[in-house]
Amino acid sequence: MNDQQHGSLSQPLRRSRPSRPESARTRTQFAAILPALGWVQFGRLAFALCLVCAPLMSANAQPTALDEGGAIGSNRVFDDAIEAAQLRTVKIYGASVGRVEGYGTGILVSNDGMIISTAGVYLSGRRVRVGLPNGELHDAKLIRTDRLRQLALLKIDAETPEFFNLQPEPVGDVGDWVVTFSNAFKVADGEEPMSVNLGIVSLRTFIEARRNDRDIAYRGKLVLIDAITSNPGASGGAVVKTDGELVGMIGKLIESSDTNTRLNYAVPNDLLLDFVENRLTDDVATAGADDEPHKPAELGIRLFGLNGPRSPAYVDRVARGSPAFQARIRPDDLIISVGGQRINTIKDYQEELKRLIPGESVVVVYKRGEELVRVEMTPVEKK
Amino acid sequence: MRTVIISLVVVGAMLGQRAIVAQDDTGATEAVVDKQDSSTQAPPKTDEVLQGLRLTPRAFRIATERIRGSLVTIESYGGSSTIEGRIGGIRRQGEGNSTGLLISSDGYIITSTFAFLRQPPAIMVMTSDGKKQFAKIVGRDDTRKLCLLKIDDPSDLPVPEIVPADEIEIGQWAMSVGVGYGDSNPAVSMGIISAKNRVGEKAVQTDANVSPANYGGPLIDIEGRVIGICVPLSPRSQDVGAGVEWYDSGIGFAIPLGGLERIIEKLKAGENIRPGFLGVQLKQNEDGKPGAIIESVVEDAPAAKAGLQPEDVILKVDGEDVVDLNQLRRKIRKLIEGDEITLTYLRGEEENEAKIVLASSPAG
Repeated sequence: MNDQQHGSLSQPLRRSRPSRPESARTRTQFAAILPALGWVQFGRLAFALCLVCAPLMSANAQPTALDEGGAIGSNRVFDDAIEAAQLRTVKIYGASVGRVEGYGTGILVSNDGMIISTAGVYLSGRRVRVGLPNGELHDAKLIRTDRLRQLALLKIDAETPEFFNLQPEPVGDVGDWVVTFSNAFKVADGEEPMSVNLGIVSLRTFIEARRNDRDIAYRGKLVLIDAITSNPGASGGAVVKTDGELVGMIGKLIESSDTNTRLNYAVPNDLLLDFVENRLTDDVATAGADDEPHKPAELGIRLFGLNGPRSPAYVDRVARGSPAFQARIRPDDLIISVGGQRINTIKDYQEELKRLIPGESVVVVYKRGEELVRVEMTPVEKK
Repeated sequence: MRTVIISLVVVGAMLGQRAIVAQDDTGATEAVVDKQDSSTQAPPKTDEVLQGLRLTPRAFRIATERIRGSLVTIESYGGSSTIEGRIGGIRRQGEGNSTGLLISSDGYIITSTFAFLRQPPAIMVMTSDGKKQFAKIVGRDDTRKLCLLKIDDPSDLPVPEIVPADEIEIGQWAMSVGVGYGDSNPAVSMGIISAKNRVGEKAVQTDANVSPANYGGPLIDIEGRVIGICVPLSPRSQDVGAGVEWYDSGIGFAIPLGGLERIIEKLKAGENIRPGFLGVQLKQNEDGKPGAIIESVVEDAPAAKAGLQPEDVILKVDGEDVVDLNQLRRKIRKLIEGDEITLTYLRGEEENEAKIVLASSPAG
C-alpha cells in the first residue's frame, strides 16, 4: 500500500537566484509609474517607461528553452514559492532509534532561530542539531511539544533573517495552487535539495479524534491538499502558495488502521502561530464542544447486556416516563444510531450516551422488525 | 502635456504587461491557449502564462460552486453524521459518508456501488439544501460500479450539465469533487484527463485524486460540467472493491455520463447489470497453436450447460479468432449477464459451435 503514494512532480531545485523573478520586477515598476507629475519629473517618467518596456525586450532577448518548439515559456511560474520554501526549511538531526534514521524537516518561523517541526522520537535524544539552508549546523533546544497536534518547537542560537512570517488568518482558499516542499521518502540525501510537488487546496476542515487510539496522530484544524504529502519523511515540510506565503506545515502521517488510507494535509498557519505563541490548550475548541464538562444524560433505555458489551444494542427495558418511553421505543428494538453516530455495539451506545447533553435533543434511529424508524428525543439529566 | 505623458506611460505599461485574459459574463476565466489552435498560434509569453496560472484557482472555485448544488451526501445507516467544518477521519469501506450526484429533477441520484459495500438496511441522503430523506436503490451496474438511487423530494435542486462523450479530451482539466471525508463542504482535487476508454472501454482515466473521499461524486471540467462519476476500477477484477488500492495514486477512473443514457434508463427500470459469467478455467494453447484450452468447467454455469468440457479448445468467439488468453478475457469482460456469445471449439478433431447466454457471477 505504501508504494502507491507518490508525488506528481518532483523536479530538481534550482540554487538560490541572485535576482528576483521577472513577475515581481514588473509589478514594482508599474507601481512606481503611478505618481506621474509635470515636466520636472519627465526624466523619471521616461526612465520608468524604459523600465516597463525592458521586460518586453528582455523577454524576446532571453530565449527560454521551449520558445523554439512553440511551447509556452513557463519554466519560471513557481519561482517565488520554491525560493521562499527553500530558504526557510531546515533539516533536523536527532537520535536514531533502531533502524529509523533520526532526522527530519522543520520550518523557520522567526528571525532568531525558532523552528517548528512534527513531534517525534528522534527529538528526544540528548543532542539535536539543525542544518540551515546556508550549510551552517547549530545545536537546537527543544522548547515544547503539543501532543494533540504532534508539533514540536525548537530554537537555535542564530540569526535567521529568512523565515515564514506566520499569519493570524488562514492562508489559502480551496482551489489555490500549493507547492509542497518536503523530504518524502528521505530521498534528498545529505545536501541535496528537497522534493517539490504541486497541488491545490482541497478543503479546510477539522479532524476529530477517532475511537481507536492507535489512529490519533493529529487532532485539530487542518488543510487538506491534493498533492501527496502522506509519504513517510515528508512531515515538517512546507506548503506554500505561489507567492511564497505559508499555507501550513506537513503534519505527521494520519493513517486509518481500518482502511490503510492516508490523508494529505498540512497543519494550518494560524494554528502554527498559536503554537509558537503558546496559546494552544488541550481542550480543542470545536463546533460540537465534546469536551465541555456537562451533567450526564439519560434516555431511559436499558440494553440487553447478557452477551457482553460488544453485542448489538438491543433494547431490554424502557423506563416509564423517560425520553425513550415518550418516543415509543420498545423492548427488542435495535438501536442503529444516536445523534448521527452509528451504534454497532452496547459499548458504542454507552460512549455516545456520555456525549449527550441534557436538554439538547438528538435523533435516534432504531430498527423494529424490518423497519427503520427515526425519532427525536430530548435526554434528561441522569439521577 | 501631462495627460499625454501619462497616457504614453500607461500604454507602455500595458504593452509591457501583455496579460490577456478573456472573461465571459459568468466570471469564468479563459486564460489558457485554445488547444485546437495551438499549432498555429504563437506561444504565449511568460507574463500571460503567469497571469493565467494565477487566475486558474478562481476558475476551480467557480466550477466547484456550480456543481455544489447537485451534490448529495449519502449516509448508509440512517442519520447523517455530516457536520459542516468537520471530518471524522477515514472510515472503513462501506461506512461513513459517500458522495452522490442528483442527475434528474424527478429525484434520481447516481453514485458508486462502493457506498453499499455492506448492504445497509437503509440509506439516508442529505441534499445540498440540508434536507435529509430516505432513498431507495433503483438499479445497479456492477460492470461500471454505478448505483442509481431515488428520492421522493428533490425540491428545486439544480441538475448539472453533462459533457458529451466526444467532447472529452485528453489533457483537459478535470476536478474530482466529493464529500466522503464527512465535511458537508466538498473536497476538490485537480488534474487532467489522462486517457479515455479504459477498463473495457468504460472509463476515463484522470490524475486528479480519486478515492473514497469522492467515489460516487462527479469529475467535472473547468466549467463545472460533469465529465463522469468517480469509481474504483481495476482492469484485473470486477469485484466491487477492486481498484480502491489505487486511491490518490495518480491513476483514477470515472465513468463518463455522456452517452450513458441507455444504461441509466435500464437502471431506472430496475435492472441490475452484472458482469457476464461464462464459467470456464482457461489456459493458453501450447506450441503456438491458436485458441485457449478449457482446463475446467464450473458446474451449472453457462459453459457447462452448453456442453463444454475440459480439453475443448476455444478457437473463435463470435467469429473472431482467439489469438491468446488475454484477448479472450478482454472480450468476455465487456459482456454482461444476458449477453449471448457464439463459441467455436475443437473437441478432438471435430469442430463445434455453441451459443451461450452469459449468467451472472455466482459470487454476487
